[in-house]
Amino acid sequence: MTNETLSGGVRTAILASRMEGIARKMQNTLFRTARSGVLNTAHDFSCVIVTADCQLLASAESLPIHTLVGPDLMCEAVRGYHPQMKAGDCYLHNSPYEGDSHPADHCLIVPVVDAGGTVRFFVLAKAHQADCGNSRPTTYMGHAADVYEEGALIFSAVKIQSDYQDNQDIIRMCKARIRVPEQWWGDYLATLGAVRIGERELVQLGEEVGWDVLDNYADAWFDYSEKKMEDAIRRLPSGMVTVHSAHDPFPGVPDGIPVNIHVAIDAAAGRISVDLTDNIDCQPCGLNLSEGCARTAAMVGIYNGILDHTVPANAGSFRRIDVKLRENCVVGIPRHPHSCSVATTNLADRVSNPVQRAIAEIAPGFGMAETGPIMPPAMGVISGRDPRNEGAPFVNQIFLGTTGGAGTAVTDGYLSIIHVGNAGLCRQDSIEVDELQYPLFVKERRLVADTEGAGRYRGAPSAYAEFGPVEGCKLEVLYTADGTINPAAGARGGLPGATSKAQKRLLDGSVVDLPACYGVALEPGEFVISRSAGGGGYGDPRTRAPDMVLNDIREGWISEARAQSVYGVALRQDGKSLEIDVESTAALRTKA
Amino acid sequence: MRLACDTGGTFTDLVVEDGAVTRLFKASTTPDDPVRGVLDAIGLAADHYGMPRGRFLAGVDMFVHGTTRAINAILTGNTAKTAFLTTAGHPDILVLREGGRIEPFNFKVNYPEAYVPRHLTFEVPERVMADGSIKQALDEAAVATIAGRLAELGVEAVGVCLLWSVANPVHEERVGAILAEHLPNVSVTLSHRLNPTLREYRRASATVIDASLKPLMFDYLSKLTNRLREAGFSGRTLMVTSQGGVMDAEAVARAPIHSINSGPAMAPVAGRFYAERDFGAAPVIIADTGGTSYDVSLVRDGRIPWTRETWLGQRFRGHMTGFPSVDVKSIGAGGGSIASVDAGGLLQVGPRSAGSTPGPVAYGKGGTEPTVTDCALILGYIDPAFFLGGAMPLDLDAARAALKTQVADRLSISLEEAAAAVLALATEKMVGAIDDITVNQGIDPGAAVMIGGGGAAGLNAVAVGKRLGCAAVLIPETGATLSAAGALMSELTTEHARLLFTTSAKFDFKGVNALMATMEEQCQAFADGPGAGAIEVAIDFAVEARYPHQIWEIEVPVRGRRLADQAALDDLVADFHAMHKKIFEINDPHSGAEFVTWRAKVRCRLKEPGAGRLTACDSDASIGKRTVYFSSTGWSDVPVARFEAMPPGLKVTGPAIVESSFTTVVIDPGTVAERTSGGGLYVAL
Repeated sequence: MTNETLSGGVRTAILASRMEGIARKMQNTLFRTARSGVLNTAHDFSCVIVTADCQLLASAESLPIHTLVGPDLMCEAVRGYHPQMKAGDCYLHNSPYEGDSHPADHCLIVPVVDAGGTVRFFVLAKAHQADCGNSRPTTYMGHAADVYEEGALIFSAVKIQSDYQDNQDIIRMCKARIRVPEQWWGDYLATLGAVRIGERELVQLGEEVGWDVLDNYADAWFDYSEKKMEDAIRRLPSGMVTVHSAHDPFPGVPDGIPVNIHVAIDAAAGRISVDLTDNIDCQPCGLNLSEGCARTAAMVGIYNGILDHTVPANAGSFRRIDVKLRENCVVGIPRHPHSCSVATTNLADRVSNPVQRAIAEIAPGFGMAETGPIMPPAMGVISGRDPRNEGAPFVNQIFLGTTGGAGTAVTDGYLSIIHVGNAGLCRQDSIEVDELQYPLFVKERRLVADTEGAGRYRGAPSAYAEFGPVEGCKLEVLYTADGTINPAAGARGGLPGATSKAQKRLLDGSVVDLPACYGVALEPGEFVISRSAGGGGYGDPRTRAPDMVLNDIREGWISEARAQSVYGVALRQDGKSLEIDVESTAALRTKA
Repeated sequence: MRLACDTGGTFTDLVVEDGAVTRLFKASTTPDDPVRGVLDAIGLAADHYGMPRGRFLAGVDMFVHGTTRAINAILTGNTAKTAFLTTAGHPDILVLREGGRIEPFNFKVNYPEAYVPRHLTFEVPERVMADGSIKQALDEAAVATIAGRLAELGVEAVGVCLLWSVANPVHEERVGAILAEHLPNVSVTLSHRLNPTLREYRRASATVIDASLKPLMFDYLSKLTNRLREAGFSGRTLMVTSQGGVMDAEAVARAPIHSINSGPAMAPVAGRFYAERDFGAAPVIIADTGGTSYDVSLVRDGRIPWTRETWLGQRFRGHMTGFPSVDVKSIGAGGGSIASVDAGGLLQVGPRSAGSTPGPVAYGKGGTEPTVTDCALILGYIDPAFFLGGAMPLDLDAARAALKTQVADRLSISLEEAAAAVLALATEKMVGAIDDITVNQGIDPGAAVMIGGGGAAGLNAVAVGKRLGCAAVLIPETGATLSAAGALMSELTTEHARLLFTTSAKFDFKGVNALMATMEEQCQAFADGPGAGAIEVAIDFAVEARYPHQIWEIEVPVRGRRLADQAALDDLVADFHAMHKKIFEINDPHSGAEFVTWRAKVRCRLKEPGAGRLTACDSDASIGKRTVYFSSTGWSDVPVARFEAMPPGLKVTGPAIVESSFTTVVIDPGTVAERTSGGGLYVAL
């Protein structure tokens, strides 16, 4: 079939499928070959295609916080520093001051060059490193006063390959400054494999259908995506609301970080705007957002809130969104040398969550409650020396139990969402894999009753995890737990989820509380206890279908007492089984 | 005589292998009593031979059966009431799973329900560690108490999966013994016996799925074998398995999880045979097109690919079986896939399907949305009077009307352009599925040959092959019943696996060799038992290996039956580096390797390889001309050839149509079709 005979709608559909396929191919390669658990278990990476004029075109199913805005800014940075690019080039970039999310996310960017030497596209793979050379063994330096204390190696569009050959100077530099260098090297190879496969596929595609056809396709795809977004926004009522949120107090920000957001939906114009400028300056801690994360976090709340996943998230649908940022703002454009070490998660969630909640407040039947704040110890970075392996050092992020999904207008909170920014695309660790890989003993992991944000659609419950080192090993766990004070708020009368918690079990079995942002050292026989935050509920819990409440009791998600006091559902024992007491339930629900 | 019978959603296919001749029969599937459909199909065959059914069956020495019984029971929630027993402290293994999600902005889909609900999950006080040592002894009294509770609850099946039972099964064995003592009539599955693999979720998932199927599959298989015996059959009944082999029906009743993916697993077995016969060493893509799904697999170096990540239903939304099975990727694209135009003006094909009910518009059974089959009819690819050999007349006008209003007018294009576009987009989706499966194994589809099976394969098999840049497409003679044909070629197999973690730097020669010796004994016992009388027995060893810090292993064949010395280990490590490069484009030759799970597979060949030929058809090979539409040529009169009547060597040049009672093959412009000596249709691209 020749392209001339295809109508626009058909050709666009076919090429969209090809583009997504290429991004997926890149992802498969990275996942299967990476060395660190954060990539090969948790899937904390993204692969995207960007047009030659630096617009996000295709991202398969990548982590939203990684990809909406950022890849475009980074390609612009590469273009700016390297006006002459040729096939075989590859750039390493992780500067949060020039588009990257946070320094732990190493990006490899490859220009896709046609036979005539013209750059036609970029392919970009972003992978969260197990270590990035920080001053402490963690990729989340919540307490760092600035980038110097943070300690990460910052690469600004550094050419790491020419003519498909590594620049060994850069490789040696990384190996000298990144912990467990062979792990970094393996992850670099995996990421490189991904971008090179993407490059090869795109060159083939361009030669097959013609580069001009691909250019036209990109325009058509952006127009289509914009139209879909416009239609989705027109389904909402117009309105404006100011919402507030706050990150918990952390080192460097003893009063926490309040966040104020103005959200406006203009249905007639088919536009949504989010204003983040009414917030404090950059702070002496690692929580400051990068520009990529600030813009993306606001947009994640919008894409979650419109409840129409058929809108492609790309530069076309972005045209319908305005995100207003301020330079040197904690949720804006960071000013060097403020640290953005934790930019993808903690404070970013404090932007996405209120935006999706704001949509719920303006538009009944849309939007979402807040997802649980993250980074309890079960998501910490563990490090130490492995007695089973002649004391070899290890460092890695684990994912031993974080839940937090928010109630929506039509569904209960997605249990394994982890946090709003990754949309549940990251994985949960297998206990057996973690215990095999690291000198770790996971004593307990279970979900906790009565921790869900109650609602017509409830949030996900908290996860409890308790773990420590095996005999002969000392373990350090660094974590940055938000939500120990400020929970995930509910929307439209829904209630907040449970707070998160960090504790330590001492040798005598007693339990002491730990700070929210901390590195805990554990001896054999000691354990760290992690409780993740519950997700917020959507809608008044007294409107939840009684059958769903009953099922929640049977399955141990909530207690009978909570069913009665919070959901207004009364129960009675009918022989062996528990049944709804219809009359008492009606009485309880009208009373309120 | 040997029979293969594949019970599908709509039809029960029967292949009769009578010496060198193969015959195909189709009866309706009877969901209320599926054994009746099997006996009906046998009845059709007996009628063909002009014999009473009893006498016909007396001449049959082997009955190979594939069924969707188990998978349907899971999909419809008709499995046994099943409990899950696991290590204390970890009750939510089946709830938390391994995380992961598709469609990041789709919050309309609920989190999947656990396969066993929490109120039927019980924590067993005990703990084994990664090295097999016991951290906490088993509390046997607590297990007895749980058994009492299970009896009260009326539980019919129990899956037991304790952490690290693969490193030391002693606690799991003991739990099994206590349950057997207290609950003699309840089916129990122990995880380390069923699926000794790392990762507790997938092992537990396989275990509870298996347990939940035991009562009904035991019942079904007993009925099947009894009624076949009553009908006069005295031969051996074998079941096809998800691993592309066959097992005795009694063995499947003991581990019914083997039967859940049995249908799609057979197509690659058939594909491998045709590939070896007709193409030698080229990698082969096998594409099986049904009404609602398109199943793709890849055979290279004569090896059928495996996966340990088989999902029931959608990835992350269904349940992982956690069980090794033939790596078949399914997408929602087939003859019944529905075409529509979305609000943004973009053409969509599938994944929604009209299935067999109501079916395509042209079937006249109530379908109102145009499907791929309707489009093929509109383009003239299918003869409305000769569908299923004329058994079902098709309504062309209804198909045209539906496509016009729902697609063509909304895209402002002509009817035939719309129909061609629907097929082009379906083709593109199929190509995407093939790309996915080939990427995972580092294969360039352009270097491969494609084999098309299933009733709807021929509509665009040539187009898919062209688009992939394949050298050729083959539609085997038995292509329309590729799975049943595969069942007749499969070997009696079983696999043993053991976890033993070791590294190339500090290799545990003693432990590994002891383990290989044990597994070899187990394989030999199988060969001497169920495999007795086989004409050939092969035992193959393999190990799942990775680089340090990687966690996804790749399977590397072990050259011998022991790893005697450093030289043998060096060979294994070299093979690992080569395999990694082959699959992923990169390797790290300066790095050592880690070894995790060791596997031994025994294959007993029950008959000489080969496939019988369909009986020749005495009609004329050329049956006239038909007006069909291709985007590149527009409407034109093209020759139509009768598949069964084409003599080897007769070349049919596209554009053309080749059709049989079971399938229609579209020969695109610029391609040439020819009958092979084996009876298949070979299309050079």
